[in-house]
Amino acid sequence: DTWRYAFEEAMEEVQGKYAQKFKEEVEANSDHEVQLFPFGTLGESADTMEQAQAGILQFVDQSPGFTGALIPEAQVFFVPYLLPQDQDTLFEFFRNSVAINEMFPELYAEQGLELLTMFPEGEVCMTTQEPVHSPEDLNEVKFRVMTNPLLVESYEAFGAVPTPLPWGEVYGALQTGIIQGQENPGFFLESTKMYEVTDVITCIGHNNFTTAVMANKQFYDGLPEEDQQVIQNATDAAFEYILEYQQGLQEESLDKIREAKPEMEINILSEEERQPFMDTASQVEEEFIGMAGDSGQEILDQMKQDLEDARQATSG
Amino acid sequence: MAATLFSIMIVLLLLGFPMMIPLLVGAAVGFVTMFGGFGQMETMIQQMIAGIRPASLIAVPMFIFAADIMTRGQSAGRLIDMVMAFVGHVRGGLAVSTAAACTMFGAVSGSTQATVVAVGSPLRPRMLKAGYKDSFVLALIINSADIAFLIPPSIGMIIYGVVSGTSIAELFIAGIGPGLLILVLFSIYSIIYARRHDVPTEPKSSWAERGRAVQGALWPLGFPAIIIGGIYGGIFSPTEAAAACVLYALILEVIVFRSLSLKGVYETAKSTGLITAVVFILVAAGAAFSWVISFAQIPQAILSGIGISEMGPIAVLFVISIAFFIGCMFVDPIVVILILVPIFAPVVQSTGLDPVLVGTIITLQVAIGSATPPFGCDIFTAIAVFKRPYIEVIRGTPPFIVILLGVAVALIYFPQIALFLRDLAFAG
Amino acid sequence: MTRPPDPAHDETQTTTTDTTDTLDDTSALPGVLGTIDLMVARIEAVLLAAGVLLMAANTVANVVGRYVFGSSIFFSEELNRILIILITFAGISYAARHGRHIRMSAIYDTLPPRGRKVMMILIASVTALCMFGLAWYAFGFIRTSAGQGRLLPSLQIPVWWTLIWAPLGFTLTGIQYALTAYKNIVEDDIYLSTNVLEGYGTDEEREV
Ligand code: NA
Ligand code: NA
Repeated sequence: DTWRYAFEEAMEEVQGKYAQKFKEEVEANSDHEVQLFPFGTLGESADTMEQAQAGILQFVDQSPGFTGALIPEAQVFFVPYLLPQDQDTLFEFFRNSVAINEMFPELYAEQGLELLTMFPEGEVCMTTQEPVHSPEDLNEVKFRVMTNPLLVESYEAFGAVPTPLPWGEVYGALQTGIIQGQENPGFFLESTKMYEVTDVITCIGHNNFTTAVMANKQFYDGLPEEDQQVIQNATDAAFEYILEYQQGLQEESLDKIREAKPEMEINILSEEERQPFMDTASQVEEEFIGMAGDSGQEILDQMKQDLEDARQATSG
Repeated sequence: MAATLFSIMIVLLLLGFPMMIPLLVGAAVGFVTMFGGFGQMETMIQQMIAGIRPASLIAVPMFIFAADIMTRGQSAGRLIDMVMAFVGHVRGGLAVSTAAACTMFGAVSGSTQATVVAVGSPLRPRMLKAGYKDSFVLALIINSADIAFLIPPSIGMIIYGVVSGTSIAELFIAGIGPGLLILVLFSIYSIIYARRHDVPTEPKSSWAERGRAVQGALWPLGFPAIIIGGIYGGIFSPTEAAAACVLYALILEVIVFRSLSLKGVYETAKSTGLITAVVFILVAAGAAFSWVISFAQIPQAILSGIGISEMGPIAVLFVISIAFFIGCMFVDPIVVILILVPIFAPVVQSTGLDPVLVGTIITLQVAIGSATPPFGCDIFTAIAVFKRPYIEVIRGTPPFIVILLGVAVALIYFPQIALFLRDLAFAG
Repeated sequence: MTRPPDPAHDETQTTTTDTTDTLDDTSALPGVLGTIDLMVARIEAVLLAAGVLLMAANTVANVVGRYVFGSSIFFSEELNRILIILITFAGISYAARHGRHIRMSAIYDTLPPRGRKVMMILIASVTALCMFGLAWYAFGFIRTSAGQGRLLPSLQIPVWWTLIWAPLGFTLTGIQYALTAYKNIVEDDIYLSTNVLEGYGTDEEREV
């Protein structure tokens, strides 16, 4: 059969790399063909999600942050400093997290979706016009965030003026000065040329952009066992592939940026400098609980537990 | 399937159905064929709504509204009187001014549709009065508006830059050369046209008259200040500048000039809503149709058959130009860029073509496509706003299309038209 | 009346965008139905005007908020999206009433009156059917959307609330085209829409 798979990024960005690997694995181990639909070719993220729920698409990649409109608990990924800042711990966390591997699949199933995997795409860093070493430096900075209450809350807590702006207008708005900052994972800063219109990149370790791949549940449940196995194997292979691909990707992206624009200032804040930013996390957690209720609290607690487990597993 | 779809659409179009019907029926036939029945029609509705959702589209009704207020009131007239005081005695001067105004407004606002309305509504009546034929005027407005795509900021270039991984800053600079070249060629054509049709000139104004005209236009000169200063100055996004123009227009016409009553404001808002709906339902239907083309992977099927991987750079550029030109005749330009750029990416890389040049050529084709029949957003906008029949709106188009295609070919053989400024700015 | 390309008309034409016209509403229906129809037209008109004015106010307020009060209106973009859907779908039936939908009538215009009448009945009927079909699927889309419980990220209201104009607008547009077909069948003149006699594109026409 022909299986259709839509994702939110371009072919050569992280989600595209994952999808290409998934396609390669499926096609090598079965007679099925996988057609890939990158960002925008079948509509926005919310559209492809609905199409997957309707069964038009068999697979869809949607980041939990966008799924928040459907599954409020998924917004937990916008709570700052929840995910490990260290890469080994992070990968360990994604491999073994109870929240991700047991709790979220149930929530997705309620929406007719089989959650196949979640994986990180890279640390989210800010690009601004002036150096940022503390929340004070963000004071009065008009900062573009996605239209999401938790991100708005986060950047308000950081002291910035969160300014929602459609993605298509961000480049121009940075160039003319309507906004002075925005955030995205490293590879995305490079591929979308954000560095051309800002002067400073600051990484404070507050988040790692997470995404999720799912299948239409009815389609998946209706498959013979060997096909389900093909999908599971392809998912696992692509997951390991993308973690490996991530090793050093952030550094590589930053290097490419340095090469394209040598005068770019790139600051990785120290533990000490990060502390004031970390102190604001509880405020956003409260906002999250307000939106996602008891079930959100459960997920949040489990994630913290998983984080602790991952930390111990990697340090010992 | 592609052939069936396009045939159905063309027949319905020619029979005189409302333009939304060919697009909707085309999309519906696609859905029914692909999914073996009407089971997935809800996705068609989803995509129609998705088509009118982009935030940048808000600029269109806002500029329509502002332009309508200005035209019903005195602002537009005073601005044009000022321009006429300076160029009225030059044969073709008004046409050249119109082309330049379209270029400047389009460049800044980034919206070709908004340009058609904002510049076209006030200037078209004056051009007709000055003796230009309507077919020429409409074609001039529509085609000059499309230069907006090439001059920064350009949403088409941003999308191309992101999808292909090309520097957006370089693309922006590369677009300026071809954009200005087109403006110059349009101006030359306008002057030739004015001479050949013996468009009458006005007596040359004295400097005193010019001074009075400028004085009369002082308040309305706030509009270009808001648009150009506001956007380049980093105060507004284009959409916000449009809304600010609405506010300013209301203040001028209702309070300062007292030329518009509150009832008039209501009527203007209603008429703006009507025009917006007429154009946006076509945008919506077009989005549903684009989805079908994308989902059925029709471009991939067509392009895999012609063997571009064996072609040389010049041939590849011609294939790219033709593919984008044809695509934009039927499908929304942004969707065309999203679908086609990744398909061409490997061959662009293997032939060693400069991605900035490719991006400029694509942007130019996208510009040409949205002013080209049968389906073109700017044509629809012009019909809705000026209430002229389809045929009349496109009748004067051919000379402009010839100029645009000429520039497209020139760009392939003389890439320096685009790359000269880029190399100058990014040297070393 | 047929209107072949006419350069003379072109040259002499000076009144152009009849921007001063007020869109007066009339109803094709008799009695109570006519009153209801007229009321619907009024509501459509008010929604159109209010939608446009609100959109301007919302966008300006966002700028003022950003510069004067140092904080953006976080739901501004969502509100504009809701308004644009409202304007489009309230507008398509209003446009159908006034015969303002864009069409290419070149071949149609060359037909004799009787042929044009038959064509117009066909066009209006088919268009009405398409609109009713779309209304049905739009209704289905809303039900699906309501079942999923999707919320707007900032306003936190159900997405389907913002879509109710779609099936409504399609239905009202369908009714307008159905009435146009009916009017062409029972009356001698050729009607472009319930409110407009044939003659789109010339200045002497407009509302009856
Ligand atoms: Na532009
Ligand atoms: Na076109």
